[in-house]
Amino acid sequence: MSMTPNIKPDLFTRIVKFSPRFLLALLILPVLGGLISVLLPAFGWAPALSQYSFNLQGFSELWLTPGIGKMVILSIVTGLVSTLLAFVITLMILASFFNSPWLNRIQHLLSPILVIPHAAAAIAVGFLIAPSGMFSRLLSPWLTGWELAPNGMFPHDPYGISIILGLTLKELPFLLLMALGVLAQPELGKKLRQQHKVALNLGYCPMTAFFKVVLPSLYPLLKLPTLAVLAYASANVEMPLILGPNTPPTLAVAIMHWFSDVDLNLRIKASAGALLQLLVTGGLLALWVGGEKTIKHFFSHLLTNGEREYGGVFWQKLTGLITALVIGFIILALIGLVMWSVAGFWRFPAAMPDQFVLSHFQNAMMQMSEPLFNSLVIGVITTALAIILALLCLEAEQLTGKNVSRFISLVIYLPLLVPSIAFLFGLVWLQQLINNQATFTHVVFTHLLFVLPYVFLSLTSSYRRLDPRFAHVAASLGTTPGNVFLKVKLPQLFAPILIAAALGLAISFGQYLPTLLAGGGRISTITTEAVTLANGASRRTSAVYAIIQMALPLIGFILAWILPKYFFKSARR
Amino acid sequence: MQTSVLEIKNLELFRQEQLLLSLNEQVNGGEILTIMGPSGSGKSSLLNWLTGTLANEFHATGEVLLNNQNVSNLPAHLRHIGVLYQDALLFSHLTVAGNIEFAMPKCDKKLRKQKVEQALEQVGLAGMAERHPDNLSGGQQARVALLRMLLSEPKAILLDEPFSKLDTQLRVDTRKLVFDLIREHKLPAIMVTHDHSDAEAAQGKIITLQSQGH
Repeated sequence: MSMTPNIKPDLFTRIVKFSPRFLLALLILPVLGGLISVLLPAFGWAPALSQYSFNLQGFSELWLTPGIGKMVILSIVTGLVSTLLAFVITLMILASFFNSPWLNRIQHLLSPILVIPHAAAAIAVGFLIAPSGMFSRLLSPWLTGWELAPNGMFPHDPYGISIILGLTLKELPFLLLMALGVLAQPELGKKLRQQHKVALNLGYCPMTAFFKVVLPSLYPLLKLPTLAVLAYASANVEMPLILGPNTPPTLAVAIMHWFSDVDLNLRIKASAGALLQLLVTGGLLALWVGGEKTIKHFFSHLLTNGEREYGGVFWQKLTGLITALVIGFIILALIGLVMWSVAGFWRFPAAMPDQFVLSHFQNAMMQMSEPLFNSLVIGVITTALAIILALLCLEAEQLTGKNVSRFISLVIYLPLLVPSIAFLFGLVWLQQLINNQATFTHVVFTHLLFVLPYVFLSLTSSYRRLDPRFAHVAASLGTTPGNVFLKVKLPQLFAPILIAAALGLAISFGQYLPTLLAGGGRISTITTEAVTLANGASRRTSAVYAIIQMALPLIGFILAWILPKYFFKSARR
Repeated sequence: MQTSVLEIKNLELFRQEQLLLSLNEQVNGGEILTIMGPSGSGKSSLLNWLTGTLANEFHATGEVLLNNQNVSNLPAHLRHIGVLYQDALLFSHLTVAGNIEFAMPKCDKKLRKQKVEQALEQVGLAGMAERHPDNLSGGQQARVALLRMLLSEPKAILLDEPFSKLDTQLRVDTRKLVFDLIREHKLPAIMVTHDHSDAEAAQGKIITLQSQGH
């Protein structure tokens, strides 16, 4: 070791201090670049199509598209209603079961849903509500009198009810777990639980106490996740592709069809559509924030009006019923999925198949090796990159002694708030401009945009909870910052890093649109295959793909749960 | 003002199967019963049992009577027992006045504002109504918490080491204020404390619980 004092920060410190800026660039540039590359063609400037004039032709074509109004309304209604339902049910569950052991039980029951990709969830819900699905089988023929499968409108109903059901069931666990994550923060959680108890002592019924005391402190921390859910719900393609109507589909699905049409001239219209999608999603976000401000303005005086009881017993019973229904729905959907994947001959009103066979799995497995390999390789590389970058940024926080700015915390959500259908096409166009051959790299890079936010958010709280004194002790013993990071901090964070890795893998496995677009349709993963198969192939094959889609992230989480029991045991908390 | 009476009848409090304490006491309005004892002797569990928030690993037999009415089976929010904790636990999304109005029974808005002003003045916090609770000193927060509890019109009061976070002079002043108001409102009170000066100042019966060594 050199004896001269080293004033200049070492390489590790410089890399660490630079990493937040790198993170910002990595998130902002592709999203902005993608948006601009979609905006220009929308106004007629498309060098790829040899069009260099600015005009509004794309918009007039969009305007003349039959059913465009219906598409927009379907996107708005499914996005808003599903988010509202998920949000309200989340609050009701929290209010009813706050301080009750049931809250933990519900959390355990619902958290596996979080890792199920949207496409798989949509397939499972579709099976549940289809005319020959589990619902009508359980009710037939004793209640309905149906001996043959009826002509039902679900899924693919023109009103988007199936989409709303699918989105609500999928987003509810996400919001609930985000809220429970906030309540698990040591200081804030303890304070809110004590204040809830104070309100009880002051004569408030438990539900009123939650809404008047806990929610005002909880909501600000739940706002961004809720907005992310709203943005996703209004602009996603997986759910409406599998559960939605075709004539007309939601706006996002229509845009996707136009972009991938062989007629390249449709791209102008698609770009104009992407701009419209931005307006729709942006409008919904503004509506939500405006609604929140209105509620605050008109109802904040109710907080101190002294009213302690708003029919709490009724609401509590209703919440219990809704919770049981939601959990029942999910369990029934999963059972149906598993049964289809192993069903031999399955006559209509029978609740169980006549025989169970493994041939669907065997057949699917033979064709699955390439998509499976792609899913795993893309997932592992993306997740590794995301974790390294997130850890460096969080280490930068500790080295500089201040938390990342509000700006960065907001930018982290950027890829989740801007509809991916609106910027991905522009991004892909840019990627092809740079290098047309590196599709695999393009897919990894695009996945990173969506994996990074989740990995970063998942690691943040554990990293900030690290006792800084360990690092101080190590430094006082002469350890370099790099070694403190590698040998002191990382082993203590082994379990949270594994959880973040499992989450990152799950997010990457579940990506449909980014894989499809960045890969130019040439890279197939389990998820792209599952979506393609959901609308054509046999129900049994589709069920197998959905199950594999669920199994992959589940294996990740099981590993993340088991490994810390054997490695770095002392670091376990 | 009518005086209340708090009675604890044949209480036996267990952790798992182990008997922590048994108690038979009557506290009249304006009296303060002091409970002392080492940690783990069941002091906090006794308060939790009285408020109806006993944790799962404990169970108890016996009754709490408030003015001869058995409240043992009522949920926490219907018992009308006010609690003062060692932290003020003011709601940070409400102003000082908001915190107190939150606790008051429903009545005319103007009357509520007036009562809050009066109460704040009485404890030396005149003009603080629209302040944010986080900007108050520890002693001021303790006084707001006291007002919040008193204006909810409880029938009995529990004090859970309420002065332990205040420094000596503040402790003496706040304690005097709390005890004076308890006597003025003729409320029965039970105080749990580690501090002998608290116990002496309460001028009531003192029960010392035994440690339940493991």
